[in-house]
Formats: sequence, C-alpha cells, structure tokens
Amino acid sequence: MSVNYSYRSRTLKKNLPRLFQYFVLSLVVLIVIVPIVMIVFGALKTRGEFMTRPYTPPIPPNWENYAKVLSMPIFWSMLRNSLLIMLATTIGVVLICSLTAFVFSRMKFRGQNLLFNFFTLGLMFPITIAILPVYLIVRQIGLTNNLWGVILVQTSFQLSICIAILRSFFKSVPYELQDAAYIDGCNTFGFFWRILLPLSRPALGAVASITMVTSWNDLLVPLVLIDKEKLWNLPLGTMQFQGQYGMDLALIAAFVTLSAVPAVIFYLFAERQIISGLTAGALKG
Amino acid sequence: MKKYILVLFLVEILLVSGVFIALTAEAQAEPLTITWWHIQTAEGEKALWQGLADEYMAAHPNVTIEVLSLENENFKSKLTTVMLSGEPPDIFQSWGGGVMNEYAKAGLLLDITAYLDKDSWRDTFSPGALGVYSFEGKNYGVPRDMGMVGFWYNKDLFAKAGIDNPPTTWTELLKDVQILKDAGITPIAVGEGDKWPGAFWWEYLAVRIGGQAAFDAAYSRKGSFTDVPFIKAGEKLQELVAFKPFQSGFLGATWGDEATLMGSGEAAMDLMGQWAPGAFADNSVDKLGLGKKAGWFPFPAVEGGAGDPADALGGGNGFVIGINAPPEAVDFLKYISSVDSQIAQAKLGLSVPVIKGAEEGLIDPLLKIVQQGAAAAKYFQLYYDQAMPPAVGSVVNDSVQGLFAGTLTPEQASQAIDDSAAKEIK
Amino acid sequence: MKKNPFDQNVQTLPQKTRSTRRLQDRMTIVLFLLPAIVLFSIFLVYPIFQSVYYSLFSWKGFGPVVDFIGLNNFKRILTDWIFIKAVGNGLLIVVLSLTIQLPLSLALALMVGRNLRGRAFFRTIFFVPYVLSEVITGIMWLILYNPDSKRGFINALLTLIPGLKAQPWLGDTRTVLLAIFVVLTWKYFGFHMLLYMAGLQNIPPEIEEAALIDGVSKRQMITYITIPLIGSTIRTSVYLSVLGSLQVFALVWIMTKGGPVNASEVMSTYMYRFSFVRFQLGYGSAVAIVMLLISLVFSLAYLRLVRQADYLS
Repeated sequence: MSVNYSYRSRTLKKNLPRLFQYFVLSLVVLIVIVPIVMIVFGALKTRGEFMTRPYTPPIPPNWENYAKVLSMPIFWSMLRNSLLIMLATTIGVVLICSLTAFVFSRMKFRGQNLLFNFFTLGLMFPITIAILPVYLIVRQIGLTNNLWGVILVQTSFQLSICIAILRSFFKSVPYELQDAAYIDGCNTFGFFWRILLPLSRPALGAVASITMVTSWNDLLVPLVLIDKEKLWNLPLGTMQFQGQYGMDLALIAAFVTLSAVPAVIFYLFAERQIISGLTAGALKG
Repeated sequence: MKKYILVLFLVEILLVSGVFIALTAEAQAEPLTITWWHIQTAEGEKALWQGLADEYMAAHPNVTIEVLSLENENFKSKLTTVMLSGEPPDIFQSWGGGVMNEYAKAGLLLDITAYLDKDSWRDTFSPGALGVYSFEGKNYGVPRDMGMVGFWYNKDLFAKAGIDNPPTTWTELLKDVQILKDAGITPIAVGEGDKWPGAFWWEYLAVRIGGQAAFDAAYSRKGSFTDVPFIKAGEKLQELVAFKPFQSGFLGATWGDEATLMGSGEAAMDLMGQWAPGAFADNSVDKLGLGKKAGWFPFPAVEGGAGDPADALGGGNGFVIGINAPPEAVDFLKYISSVDSQIAQAKLGLSVPVIKGAEEGLIDPLLKIVQQGAAAAKYFQLYYDQAMPPAVGSVVNDSVQGLFAGTLTPEQASQAIDDSAAKEIK
Repeated sequence: MKKNPFDQNVQTLPQKTRSTRRLQDRMTIVLFLLPAIVLFSIFLVYPIFQSVYYSLFSWKGFGPVVDFIGLNNFKRILTDWIFIKAVGNGLLIVVLSLTIQLPLSLALALMVGRNLRGRAFFRTIFFVPYVLSEVITGIMWLILYNPDSKRGFINALLTLIPGLKAQPWLGDTRTVLLAIFVVLTWKYFGFHMLLYMAGLQNIPPEIEEAALIDGVSKRQMITYITIPLIGSTIRTSVYLSVLGSLQVFALVWIMTKGGPVNASEVMSTYMYRFSFVRFQLGYGSAVAIVMLLISLVFSLAYLRLVRQADYLS
C-alpha cells in the first residue's frame, strides 16, 4: 500500500485494463446484436420491405405484424402449451438429473463408470433418427397427441447433458462437508437435499436454463408426436408463415421475437440462481 | 422449512399442469373421423380448405374432418414417421410420381380406381395429370394442380437491352444472355443452393434433346442415363454456365433469393414453375412483383434435338388416400375436386386447374398460357425428383449442382445418376 | 487403478454399522437412479437398438423390413468419400471450437462474472443467441450472408472498404464451412459462458482474497488460481463441445443442406439426406450408428483421461 505512484498514473493504470475490457465487451455485443436487431427491425416491416431492404431501420414502424400475431388465438394456445411443456420438463430434468448425478459424484459402487458411460449415450446419438422408434413407442404407450408424451420424451433426451454437467459440479463440493454431515447424523438423502442442492444453486440454475431453452425451442418432438393444432407449441407456430414456395419473413420475425421474450425472462430468473450461489462460511472453522 | 415450501410449490405446479393437460387431452374419437393433412399454410389457402371441410361436415353430420396444415419440410418429416408406423393419414398431400409409387408398393395407399370409374368421375380430370397419381394401372389419388416449367421474364429489362422477342432456340437464348450481360443486366436468376431450381435446366435440355424416348429408355433400364442425349444435356448446360449468366453467389442462393431478384426487377429471366408469379409478388416491396412487366415463353427448342418443342416439364400437387381411410374420405376427396372448388383455387392462385371447365378461374393471363401449354403437351415429363424414386431424384439434384459448380463433368454426372437408377429402379 | 485418497472417508464413518450403511447406500443408489434408468432405457436405448437392427437391412423406412444385407451399409459408408469428407469437416469444427469458441467463452465469463458495472446487461445479451431457435438463427444468417451487397449485411460492410468485393459466403466451397462455424460460435458461446460462470461461482472468495494479500498480479491470479479451480468445469465444457460439434445438424441443414457440392457436409446432414430425402433408412440408421461409435470412442478415451484429474482437484 505504500506505493509512490502519482495519482494520475495510478488511476490510469487501474482503469486501462477496465477500459480495455469494456471495449472488448462492447465489440462482442455489437457482433452478437446485429442479427438480433435485424430481426427486431424486420418484425416492424412489411414482407417485401424486409426481403429487399433488411437492414434499414423501419421508418415508419409497421406494428401490423405484432398486432396480427397477438390477435391470433392460436398464438396464445401455443404459448400456453410451450409453458406447460417447459415447466414440467425442466422440473423433471432438474430433479432426476440431480438424483442421478449425486450418485455418480458422491457415492462409490461397482460398475459405476460403466453405468455413467451408459448415461452419456444421449449425447452421441442423433435425435433425428432416434425420433422414429420413439414415435412408435409413444404410440404404443398411447401418449401421442398428449403433452405428457412430449414432456417424457423431451426429459429423456435432456438427461445426458444435464447429468454430465451436474456430476462435474457436484464433485467439486468438498468431501469434508459430506463427512461433517454424516457425523452429525445426516443420512444420504438429507445430505443431498439439505446441503448439496442448496450449495449447487449455480449448477442447478445453469442446467435449468439449458433445459428451459431447449424445451422452448423444440420443434421435432411435438411435430412428430402431435397431430392436433391446439396442442402445438410455439416453434411449430412459425410454420404458419412458411408457405410451400416462400415465407413471410416479417411475420415470422414478429412471431419469433414474441416467442423469445418469455424464454429470455426465464433465463433472467435462472441466472439469479447462478450468480447468487456462494460457498462462503461453509468451511469456516 | 423454506425448502419444504418450495417442494410443495413444485409439486403443486406439477399437479396443476397435469390436470390442465388431462383436460386438454382429446376425448375418444368420434364414430367417423377423417384426417386430412395438407401443406397450405398461407391464410387464404388454409381458409379455403377449412371452408370446404366445414361445408362437408355440415352436410354430413356424422363425419368429422380433422384438418392439419403443415409446412412443406415438416410435412415430409412427419409423414416419414407416420409411414414408419404403417398408419398414414386418410387424405394427404402428394406430388405423385416416384415417392407416391413407393408408398403404393408398400401397401400404404388405398386403390381408388373403382371410385374413379363410377359416374365418370375419371373424365372430369385432364388425363395427363391424373396419370401422375396412378401406379401400375391403379389410381391412388387425384391431382388438383398441374403446370409446366417455363421462362418467366421481365419485359422491361428485355426492352432495355434491345431484345424485341423472346428466344425460340437455344442459340438465340445464349445470344440474348450475352446481350443482357452487355447491357449490365443479370440475365438469369437461379437458386442453386436449393438444387431443384437448377435441375429444371438439365431436365428440360434432356427433354428437348432426347424426347420421351430417351427418358423412357433410361427409366425402363433398357437404356441408360449415360446415353448421348443426357450427356449432351450436361454439355449444353455447361455451355450456358460458361457465359456466367447467373447472379453472384448463385451456388448458395435459395429459391427465395431467386424470387426476390425477379420480383424486384434485378434479373431478366427465371426458369420456374407455375407458382412463380405469386412468389415474385410476395417477395417484392410493393407486393406487386412483376405485374404487367411479366412475360412467359416456353423452353426454347434445341437445334438437332429429337424432342418436340411443345413437350413439357412440370409437375403439380394432388391428394392421395391412405390405406386405412373410410369410403367417406374418397367421397370428401370428390367434394374438394369439384369444378367450383377448382375455380376457387385458381382464383387464389393456389392451383392451375386440372378439371375441365375450371380454367375460367384463372385470373392471370400468363397462367392461362401455362395451363394450355401443360394440357396440350403430348409428352409431359414430371420433374425427375418426383418421377423417379426419391433416392434417384436426390442424386439428380446433387449431380446437376455439380454441373453448375463445374465440379462434375457431364459424363460423371450422368454416371452418378445412372448408378443410382440402376440400384433403385427394379 | 490408483486409489482415491478420499475413499477411506466413505468407509470409515462411525455412528452406523458398516452393514446397515451399506444396505442404506445400496437402496439409495437404486432409488436415485431408477427414474433416469427407466426413461433412458425406454426412450433412448431402445431406439438405438432399433437403429442397429435397421442398419443391417436395405430398407426404405416404410413397408416390411425384409432386405437383410448384413454389414454392407457400413462398408459403403466407410468407403464413401462424401462421408469421409463429412467426418473431416466435423473434426475441423471440433478443432475450431476448442481453439476459438471455448477460450472466447472463458474470457468473457471471466470478464462478466465479476465486478464489472453493467455485467448483468452483458450477460443477458451474450446469452440471447442461445435462446433463439436454430431455425430462426439459420434464416437470419442466411440473410446476413446474402452475396448481394444490397441485401447481405456482411457484404454491405465489406464493400465499404474500397477494393473489396462482395463474397458469396455460403456459395463458395472455400468459405462455406468457416461461415457456418461463425454462426455456430455466435449461437453457442453463450452456453459455454454460462457453464463457466456457474463454475466461477464455486471458487471460494477466501482463496482469491488470500492470493491478493499475497500480492499476485491479475494475470497470475487467472493462470494459477482461477483456471485450475474451474478445471472440472472446463473439462466438462470441452467434453460437451466436442460431442456437440460432432452432432451439429439443424444450422448446417437450414443454411446449406451440406452444400454446395458437399463442401459443408457433416455426418448428420449426410445421415439426414439418406434417411429422409432418399428414403434409405437402413443406410441412414447405419450412419447414425457410426456416429455413435465415433462419439463413444472419444468419450471413453476422454473420460478415462480426465478421471484422475477430477479426483485430485
């Protein structure tokens, strides 16, 4: 603390890396944001305008597309279906994957590695081929044209990635904590529920975000399993505007921006979990 | 304590969702339900189909028609999974030809020959079009739209370059391409990224050079796709490509890009099917597309070709009947194939009619020309990727893209196509 | 196999006798694993077995499965130069992702995870590409990449610099794969950034405080403390990135369908074309199995390699 820098060069020295950081971040924001802004602008244009002049700001803005989408009753039913599917899938995935990842990261038993490799298969098999036999199974169980069919299938497909992520996070919780818990008379489930899970809020938040987004954007599973328009989710809704010989990009843009809004809101929720988790105090003493 | 509340809350959400989902689940199917899958997602067209279904249901109270409107690619994916289970929908979109033949061979379609013979229903259709939806003498569906591919051109741009009349021979076409280039106008728009727009060029050249005989020989496997007419077609195509007549980036362009260029008057010619004017309009700023500036001329004759200049390459749309469909489904099909229905479709620009008498519904005089051309052609060739088994069609599209890119010689392209045909066509 | 130094903790716990603890543990394991095993077996393992079955036939995807051809499909796959090209492209994407996308995500996570004004804003913006569906991402970038400088944003910018001409990014076989990689990075860097952010949260601040007191520089902090402490997160991120790169499908199919002339072909577009466009599902299933095997080989090797690192971290 007894440095003899002059005030000026000290603040400069302190701020330069910070300024550089802001510069880099702003650059990245620019690159990231261009396509998004284009879509947002596009939603405010007419179809022909969008096709021929995609980058100019819409002047005057054409709210017709948004109005059209919001006034379609099918948009709201798709929104509702997407919400139901997403909530159920996310809760299911987080619960099941926590249980599974816990076993693989905190307990030892024979054949553990083999079984874990088994669970990673979901990351390796293309979903576009898997969906065909899945359709046959779901049909046999009788869950076609039923949101539960979609939920079960989506949950199953998300298991691998979430188990992989949670397992690595659960492993990083120190063993001393587990020992302390057992010494205090906690049983395995108690440790899992009362200590591990709360400590892993960042990881759970990350897994929840990923699952929510994947479920929200899933087009393949509902397309294959559901024949009734009123059970469709939002991604299938963009179909409305894609004709056989061309698509109304402006309407699609409006539809897509409206669909993305809830997903971003959910992410904001989950993100709080990620940022707020702290292990401070757990190991003191 | 807080944890338990959270758990309770989550369980509650699950329960509520479960109840909600159960309530929205469907009741048991009615005594007679017909499922109908079509690919018209545009508002007006979708409403037309739904209107017909509603009318029919009103007249037949015991019948429920479940209409499902799907986008093209999604339709194909979903149909594939359903075909896997062996339970196709009762009525569904079809382009006829090779794909439909495969389904028929696999026993997934209903034979409706007897229905067509009754009450001369058969005679209401243009025979060429109806033939596309038959296989080995049996009918499995009916057409609603059949057109031909031709050149849509921008009369203003032609005039600007000083071209008075559209070309009638291949040599004239190449000359006009050069004239347009010299005038600084992009002569031809093609979305070769999608592959099928470019395939039209090669296929039409084969039609002009080899005529029906060449295709029949190759398809029946008595001849081959490496026969002279097909090689020559590849050579002529590369002759055109050497002029660099297309827009920049054509190898990665989509059909949408192609339509946009034409609709905004930035390219002079487009070899495309009967849906072109609608797409031009949709993809233009003022929604008018080419409007009065549009002209149409048939694919030019190729000097020394064995084909008749009136021969047509084209295709259309229709509906086929699934194997498990009840007789009422065929009755409904008849209902939507009436003259009135066709006139309504023509007015919307949805279909180029195939039912005699419905041509009056066509508003666009150019479409009238297309319709007449298609009806008059003695030899009507369905697009190769519809006429032949899908595997071969896909190889055709891929190989022709190679011709456009210069990565394949005409001999290599023909060989690839023939190899695939040898395997698939038995 | 090296003995895990923490093993003894699990076995020498007082309070309950070892046998009852064992039994309780066994039951817990079974109970905890049951839901995942059930769902997994029904909806993933069974389809894989079905695909293995289909892959031994020449079959269109509908109608009876009768044309048994044994391993012929696999022979064809391994000798098809287009498939080999697809594998090569896939590997190229893997390498590019590991060397460009992952370090980028890590750097950004380090910047926005800590004390930086407005970090919430940055975090949200960076995650938005991941939130958008692949379909709409493909469509958007198709527009951006338009070869016409009047319609393509990138070309519009490019032509502002005198002497540079508009390029057909997706139409040129030399640039198409890189163009697709840019889109992949755009879409998924937020995902990895999210993982790293979560990982960074796990570092106890006491360690960093102690290091600061000891007088480490920012750079030393990152190199010797932060990164090793999120080692397991990085290992997971690498794992997911490789497997994800091998499986990439929707974006490529929407933008180029693997073209032009197979320049951007990847294993999944190859598989999709044969299964759904050419109606050769037997062959397509075989391709899926080959993809599975390639991924499995990588996964087994990788997990074995990192197992030690995980135990000792």
